[in-house]
Amino acid sequence: MSVLRRLLDNVGDRLQSGGKLDHLYPLFEAMDTFFYSPDSVTTGTTHVRDALDLKRMMSVVVAALMPIVFFAMYNTGLQAHRAIIAGGHPLDTWQTRLFEAFGYGYTTDFWACFFHGAIYFIPVFVVGFAAGITVEVIFASIRGHEINEGFFVTGFLLPLTLPPTIPLWQVASGAIFGVLIGKEIFGGTGMNVLNPALTARAFLFFAYPAEISGDKPWIAADFVGVDGFSGATWLARATAEGSQTLGPIGGAQWWDAFIGFIPGSMGETSALLCLVGAVILIITRIGSWRTMLGVVGGSAATAVLLNLIGSDTNPAFSIPFAWHLVLGGWAFGTVFMATDPVSSAFTDKGRLIYGFGIGVMVILVRVVNPAYPEGMMLAILFMNMFAPFIDHFFVQANIKRRLARHAAGQ
Amino acid sequence: MNAKQKSALLDPLFNDNPIAAQVLGICSALAVTTKLETSVVMSIAVIAVMSLSNLTISIIRNLIPSSIRIIVQLTVIASLVIVTDQVLQAFFFDISKQLSVFVGLIITNCIVMGRAEAYAMQNPPVDSLLDGLGNGLGYSLILIVVGFFRELIGSGKLFGVQVLPLVTDGGWYQPNGLFVLAPGAFFIIGILIWLLRTWKPELQED
Amino acid sequence: MRQDSNAYIIGFATAVCLVCSIVVSTSAVALRERQDRNKVLDRQTQVLVVAGLLEEGQNVSPEDVESLFDEHIQIRVINLETGGYEDSIESSTYDQRKATKDPSASRAAPANNAGLTRLPDNALVYQRVEDDAVQSLILPIEGKGLWSTLYGFIALAPDTTTIQGITFYEHGETPGLGGEVDNPTWKALWVGRQAYDSDWAPAIEVIKGAAGPVAEDPYRVDGLSGSTLTARGVTNLVQFWLGENGFDPYLERLRAEGSGS
Repeated sequence: MSVLRRLLDNVGDRLQSGGKLDHLYPLFEAMDTFFYSPDSVTTGTTHVRDALDLKRMMSVVVAALMPIVFFAMYNTGLQAHRAIIAGGHPLDTWQTRLFEAFGYGYTTDFWACFFHGAIYFIPVFVVGFAAGITVEVIFASIRGHEINEGFFVTGFLLPLTLPPTIPLWQVASGAIFGVLIGKEIFGGTGMNVLNPALTARAFLFFAYPAEISGDKPWIAADFVGVDGFSGATWLARATAEGSQTLGPIGGAQWWDAFIGFIPGSMGETSALLCLVGAVILIITRIGSWRTMLGVVGGSAATAVLLNLIGSDTNPAFSIPFAWHLVLGGWAFGTVFMATDPVSSAFTDKGRLIYGFGIGVMVILVRVVNPAYPEGMMLAILFMNMFAPFIDHFFVQANIKRRLARHAAGQ
Repeated sequence: MNAKQKSALLDPLFNDNPIAAQVLGICSALAVTTKLETSVVMSIAVIAVMSLSNLTISIIRNLIPSSIRIIVQLTVIASLVIVTDQVLQAFFFDISKQLSVFVGLIITNCIVMGRAEAYAMQNPPVDSLLDGLGNGLGYSLILIVVGFFRELIGSGKLFGVQVLPLVTDGGWYQPNGLFVLAPGAFFIIGILIWLLRTWKPELQED
Repeated sequence: MRQDSNAYIIGFATAVCLVCSIVVSTSAVALRERQDRNKVLDRQTQVLVVAGLLEEGQNVSPEDVESLFDEHIQIRVINLETGGYEDSIESSTYDQRKATKDPSASRAAPANNAGLTRLPDNALVYQRVEDDAVQSLILPIEGKGLWSTLYGFIALAPDTTTIQGITFYEHGETPGLGGEVDNPTWKALWVGRQAYDSDWAPAIEVIKGAAGPVAEDPYRVDGLSGSTLTARGVTNLVQFWLGENGFDPYLERLRAEGSGS
């Protein structure tokens, strides 16, 4: 190890400020602190700080995401194999050739599905991560600050919100846009108004809609012309024809959707594992239960209201809340996107309102807007923009109350 | 050209750009910039209206009673805009159809009124003409840059000519739909403002 | 006279208004003829494109458009309800879109799923005539897509059912998705398909996914990928205008005449 230490010291000295290559220092610093604890100590008055720093916080979120990551790989393969078993064909991609070279068959066998899904998920993950980190490194170098862990969670979230068949160059352009416009333009990690992963997804959604909406992209197989087989997400089917086409609440299909054996964005399908993630985030107090509760309340209220209003022409009005919960990105967004501590509200009451707003918007977009069957991404981004305003309102109210108490005490 | 005239003409290009520094005239900058051609024609229309309105108002500035000066400015601007619109309909029909109401909406473009009230009311005609020209050019600069990127990224074309061969026609370029939508213009203008403020830090308020 | 006296202000305001109104009206009157000609040319170009006499975006001089139009195209005004010709109305100046908004020249549309609220009493039809024989019937169509009203033309062969072309010249659909209704490749898919089934009910529809070749699958057109709702709008509006409230009475007459002669 001391060889590495000497090497780092040797390089570090040349990159110290004032040197010729001092703009590369952040890169060095990131490597240095990755391998060793830094020897710098606080010199001024000591502050007691929470032991939970950004790195630990992000590690917990990633740990909560791991079951979803593995399930995403399995389900991506499973959906492809089901389509092929129903009469479809494998896609003409290098993934297919690699999969067949290993001698696997298109069965619902766990390892076959897992392997097939993994070779779709991992490239998306790696490309998104590399592109996002590159932007972070460039900005850290320009701005002369250390590379922080800001992209770490975003890098995990982004691939989970994408369909398996998305072209990798689009993943890269989305990640770059998300980090640049979602974060760096506001001043970097901690300063962002919008959730960077969702900004990236929104970019791809509007820029290249053919690869991220409609019926085709959700299953990594060619199923065109297979009778009775639809590649549409179940949410799209429910909003087009009403949830009765899927089956009753608590029926086999509902449980499939709850556990996640349905086509969709790679990481969004399993409401069950999102629930597990929610428990982890709430116990460790990293995700706000208030935000999640707000989303549940807002969605439930809106769904029930729309059920009562009813509509002759739009079957989506009749979708019960229990179906909304398990379809599309509702669960994933509620647990992992809405609770993003930077882009959500940070006052306690503000979080309830913020979450409630997301809940109302997501159901409205799903049901009322004819063009977008999914509303979670748009609802969260929309409320992201209101979060500072909501906070401002509660902070001001608090200040007023304290002033009043102060005046009364005199 | 004296120093004052020079700054009246050149300042609005970067230091005091109406869109990027003052954030005025955003509405039309979003609406007409899907193509380079419409951006250019809109730019010319705005330059013409601004120069002429500044010139006219400056000439009569000492005659205008101050109690009705805003309405007089508006009348002059509105007349110029209508004439411009008529000329476009007569000579550039296709483009005028694409610009639709946005030529007429130059009347409500804050830049035009703003320059008339803030500059032409106090300054002699030649200076005012240059100020109108300068602000028109500053507006045009942003419009044309935005139009360039939106048409190139959004449809792979420039002035309607396919420069990036599309996937649907057997080429390699997949057009980016976001840049055809109005938010695409928002992002480009935002990035331009970001770059301008990085280049000229004195523009950052704080 | 003092500048803040009422008399001066009124005098000044009058003078400004007078000058401005002279400038505006002069330009409007002087350019009127050119503008009207532009509008006519624009409409003529679109009709020529759907009739297959012009390439889309082809650069042609106004004179050529006019001569091409005069040579090949005949404009007729018809009564939508009876399907008969209304020769009392001057066809070259009849503005169908204006008439649709005019209460005295239109009626409330019957319930329909093409998103139309009013129907004009009279509609324009363009006939492509070669050697005194009608080669194409070009019918204006309009209706709701996903976001906007689409305006276009459909061209039918003299048998009143074989589609020769379709075009949408004005719409506000999502670029790249529904906006592909003006994609020449997609529009070419319509050519040769049948508008009506064997019982003369409007049958042509835009489906989800891909339709078969013209000979095997004559009533269906490929969907627009990612834009089910625009495609549904196109189906609805085309079927509406082919239906009993649209051009069916007129086409019915033509068929009767055709079989009679």
